[in-house]
Amino acid sequence: MNIAVKPAAVSELVYLTVGEASRLIATRKLSPVELAQAYLKRIEAVDETLHGYITLLADNALAAAKEAEAEIMRGRWRGPLHGIPYGVKDNYHVKGVRTTGASRLMLDHVADETATAIEKLEAAGAILLGKLNTWEYGTGTGEVWPDLPFPLARNPWNTERFTGGSSTGAGVATAAGLAMFALGSDTGGSVRLPAAATGVYGMKATYGLISRAGILPNCWSLDVPGALTWTAGDNAIVSQAIAGFDPRDPQSADVPTPNFSAALEDGVSGMTIGVIRDFGADAPEIEADTLANLSKTEDMLVALGAKLVEIALPAPLSRYRAVTGVINWAESLSIHEKDFMERSHLMGKALRDKMTSGFTLRAVDYVAATRHRRELALSSDAVICSCDAVLAPCTFLTAPPFGGQERLVRFTFGSATSIFNVTGHPAISIPTGFDADGLPTSAQIVGKYFDEATVYRVSCALEKAAETRAIRPKI
Amino acid sequence: MTDTPAWTLDEIVVYAKRYGLTTMRDDHLVRMVELANVVAAAGTAIPRQTKKSDEPASTFRVPLLSA
Repeated sequence: MNIAVKPAAVSELVYLTVGEASRLIATRKLSPVELAQAYLKRIEAVDETLHGYITLLADNALAAAKEAEAEIMRGRWRGPLHGIPYGVKDNYHVKGVRTTGASRLMLDHVADETATAIEKLEAAGAILLGKLNTWEYGTGTGEVWPDLPFPLARNPWNTERFTGGSSTGAGVATAAGLAMFALGSDTGGSVRLPAAATGVYGMKATYGLISRAGILPNCWSLDVPGALTWTAGDNAIVSQAIAGFDPRDPQSADVPTPNFSAALEDGVSGMTIGVIRDFGADAPEIEADTLANLSKTEDMLVALGAKLVEIALPAPLSRYRAVTGVINWAESLSIHEKDFMERSHLMGKALRDKMTSGFTLRAVDYVAATRHRRELALSSDAVICSCDAVLAPCTFLTAPPFGGQERLVRFTFGSATSIFNVTGHPAISIPTGFDADGLPTSAQIVGKYFDEATVYRVSCALEKAAETRAIRPKI
Repeated sequence: MTDTPAWTLDEIVVYAKRYGLTTMRDDHLVRMVELANVVAAAGTAIPRQTKKSDEPASTFRVPLLSA
């Protein structure tokens, strides 16, 4: 090692935030090699229990960390992600590395391209530790069955509890110190739900802001890649690095990327925050601890100087769910039709059920869903634009135990996440505290199109007020 | 949808064969019957737009970006 620092315990290093580690690396007080080694030790120690990773890239990570360290020693620090170790959901392609999608159908698939988001992180000098666990093909029905070729990821707050899906390993890795941040993908909540289950920040940016190129598609018109991080500020740093127009992605938005961190510390005083409390008569009930912590979050916003106004969505949650469900069935089957027609017996139950659903869907119903989506997006946008940002629930319960399919499905499909996949607005899952069993509770902060900066600003103000970031899982 | 007849296994077997799905196990075809009824209900429950000019959210625009 070339950088002289006092030896630090693994736990001290792996629980640094991106912001903290970055400052230490930039001032040569922390060695990227030592940091990568600390993560690899931590993974070795606990991932046999947590199953966050599918493929570990230890040699590549150490080589990249050595290169980063040498570059920094030569005076070329690339920026806040230089030397920062991360993991990526195993539906992102990395050239020369297998992408399994946690599926028997892809066990031997070696990628011949690299996802744009990974290329951007490579250019920023971040260190890829490995490929993270996921539901099969990054999708499913909300049910969890132990019928995939890799063990189920386990929640570090309680290993008998669900991790949230579909980016199952991404939340686990970020919360348990197996990666300093992780990338997932979100079609109906697959970044925000694992973030909610594991007590981290998970951002679904505005549709089109972050390139989907080089990621195994799930549903073209709903998929959004995104970062899971321990803090809101870290999330802003990672999103800044991966956002931007990409001609490889036909839906990429050709808009300038604002500075997500510029107003991070400006607080919420004077802001108008819309609050969504009513999700329709047929919506699931928000469980008591989650509701109590939502209420505390509202109180914090008021104490910080924000004005709260109750706002109403133009349709019940069930309508957004129905639209996203129909679109998902159709597009997903179109993507994986050949696999389904020829090898459905190799799929896990959840993926096969989803493909089977698409098989009997009528074309006219799919088009009706996409037409109604436009109406929902326009009318929801009018409501969201009446405020500076919006506070909404994320999941309506904390991470349920494995085995009870009804609660697992309610955690996933009964959440308020899919609303913002339908509308395309940026929405982040934020931790709001803990329930009586010590499991994280969650909420969402939602913003106007391409106004991720305000979403981060509100999240950061709440993070400081709530002081939940000092508590890590005990594993 | 309450007055819409439910799919039967015989119909599903014929439908699957008609559209080239010949490799599916019998128990998976039984599951398809259950799901087909859920899908039919979900599909017809999507509200229809009143104006014929209301287009889908995903529209065709040129110039196209080539992936």
